[in-house]
Amino acid sequence: MPDREIVILTDVSLITCIVQKGMADTIVLAGRKAGAQGATVYYARGSGVRERLGILGVAVEAEKEVVNIVVADDQVDRVMEAMFLAGKLDTPGMGFMYVTPLEKAATYVPHDVLERLKEKAGR
Amino acid sequence: MHSPPHDHISASPDVRGAEGIEGSVDSGPVLEVRFGEYLQEVGVARRRVRYGEVVASAPGAEGKVRLRATDVYRILRPYVTPRFVEQAKAVAPLGVYLVLFQLLFLRQPVSGGWIVTGALAAVIVGLMLFMEGLRLGLMPLGERIGETLPTRSPLSVVLLVVFLLGIGVTFAEPAIGALKAAGTIVVPERTPLLYGLLTEHSGLLVLVVGAGVGVAAVLGTLRFVYDWSLKPLIFATILPCLGLTAYAALDPARQEIVGLAWDSGAVTTGPVTVPLVLALGIGVSSAVGKATSSLSGFGIVTLASLFPVMGVLLLGLTVGPAGAGATTEVVVGGWLSQSPVAEIVAAIRAIVPLVAFLLVVLWMVARERVSHPGLVTYGIVLTVLGMALFNVGLTFGLAELGNQSGGALPAAFTTVEGVPESPLYIFALGIGLVILFAWVLGFGATLAEPALNALGMTVEELTNGAFPKKLLMWAVAIGVACGIGLGVAKLVFGFGLAWVLVPGYAAVLILTLFSTEEFVNVAWDSAGVTTGPVTVPLVLAMGLGLGGAVRAPEGFGVLALASLCPIAAVLTTGLYVQWRTHHEQAV
Repeated sequence: MPDREIVILTDVSLITCIVQKGMADTIVLAGRKAGAQGATVYYARGSGVRERLGILGVAVEAEKEVVNIVVADDQVDRVMEAMFLAGKLDTPGMGFMYVTPLEKAATYVPHDVLERLKEKAGR
Repeated sequence: MHSPPHDHISASPDVRGAEGIEGSVDSGPVLEVRFGEYLQEVGVARRRVRYGEVVASAPGAEGKVRLRATDVYRILRPYVTPRFVEQAKAVAPLGVYLVLFQLLFLRQPVSGGWIVTGALAAVIVGLMLFMEGLRLGLMPLGERIGETLPTRSPLSVVLLVVFLLGIGVTFAEPAIGALKAAGTIVVPERTPLLYGLLTEHSGLLVLVVGAGVGVAAVLGTLRFVYDWSLKPLIFATILPCLGLTAYAALDPARQEIVGLAWDSGAVTTGPVTVPLVLALGIGVSSAVGKATSSLSGFGIVTLASLFPVMGVLLLGLTVGPAGAGATTEVVVGGWLSQSPVAEIVAAIRAIVPLVAFLLVVLWMVARERVSHPGLVTYGIVLTVLGMALFNVGLTFGLAELGNQSGGALPAAFTTVEGVPESPLYIFALGIGLVILFAWVLGFGATLAEPALNALGMTVEELTNGAFPKKLLMWAVAIGVACGIGLGVAKLVFGFGLAWVLVPGYAAVLILTLFSTEEFVNVAWDSAGVTTGPVTVPLVLAMGLGLGGAVRAPEGFGVLALASLCPIAAVLTTGLYVQWRTHHEQAV
């Protein structure tokens, strides 16, 4: 199909942040402010820190929200930092985050952006 | 895990090169800094550690983490704060509004102000503990039963369980304590039947109300299973209610219970009843194989508000007025001098039977184990503590404040001994002020209800945005406000409640006839949703206080009207939205 094309986006990473239910929105907002283009939130159930906190474990919600944000490699540190601080992940039980390198990604790229990229590539 | 220390984000461009990579300043006027170094300096400090090293030095798979005091504080804060704030937002503005109105417009100080404040704080903390305990303790039990019981037992057994659950949750409702507290404010000589129902027969009263909820829960579950429409059920329930109301209203010895009967319907549907009965109902419907449509949840709340009315009316018609023995029993100050221990005992007596019932059903009938016994126990303990605190706060705070407020209101328009300047305003202005006060009270209290927010979102989804959440919330709030205003007018002017209820519900029935199933479901449920554990005792006490002060025969009925008007408001708004959508599509 010559009139449709797929734009392969390279040098992307996935930031996954697992937080207690209800706290995903703060994290997503912080990520967006730091430059992320979007986010996906799943629901999950977690265990680990709760069992080790003893009686205080009841203060940590077992139901979790998993926030996935795909960013460019150049942005990873900034976005990760913003999410970490916004979610207060340095408090016991508040969450866990990790970064995975991705092979490639693909999505809709606006036409004018595509044109500008092609021009730059041509140049 | 040790956390990296936070750095201040410094605005100063003074980069001293923390890593000592940059040369000294006096090597020349130009200092070269890698941007990454600068960012590291102004951003959060980082430390790289191999994960294996962290895990290796941890005490072991099940070892405890050693926490500093700040860590404990940081764990508990996001847990406690939102829950506390949620309850505080519901209680504090109401309290402030009542006190301010009484001080500014009625020029009467609130007696026992510190006790009332402390009691209101007890209400907030009590509700916070209660709701958390409900979430962690009772709800998992109910949901587990809802998931497993219908698959392992025949429908008849499930319905029996649902019926008994209906009775159990009614006893566990926080607002039920308000009915009992109301018994102390009723004058026995003028309304012997009412007084008897609230004191001598109070256990029987709650039982009848509970049985009403039980029947409603059974019918609601059957509605899930057989997909009955709500409209015929409403007609089949309201018409006998109205008939009984008319019969009781025409009998001078019985007409005093009409207000109580319709008020008890508003009391029942609270934070305990609705989720537990719903959990069972949804479990039944998925076991039967029906897809749970978003409408499934509705209907039970409506029926659970109507059947208790029938029950109390029938009770009032069969039970004679309190015997001579009851009137000699002076309970003045009886409730007010209860020690905290008595509240805890009362809370245990309310919660434990329900928990025991749920556990028995879970173990014997559904043959399941409790999945997190420690957590569930914690939840149950919280529920009991929360309810005990709430009851203390109810008696000394909500009921007291409402009673005082209500009692102070007549000073605005008639002469009251004890208030030297009464009437404070000319008659029409005074009455208007009182009704306006009640109107704003109803409006504000309703908008603060979290359950209404949830209902609004459901409706917006159901109608694909045609009925926005804000519109529903405003419609319900205006309805409740008008209802409470009407109720206060009823107390002041003394017209019979039945004269408003019967035509009012008749009009609502006509509106129901013309509305679609979705709007009927939502509208009738909105009334049950709005009267929460804070507004019910407050409005009840206020009505009784006002009724006593204006020498009305009894002070009930305000909640009844506060339940009737939102139904009318939402149905009307629904018809308007229907008409508008139809009009837009036709164009």
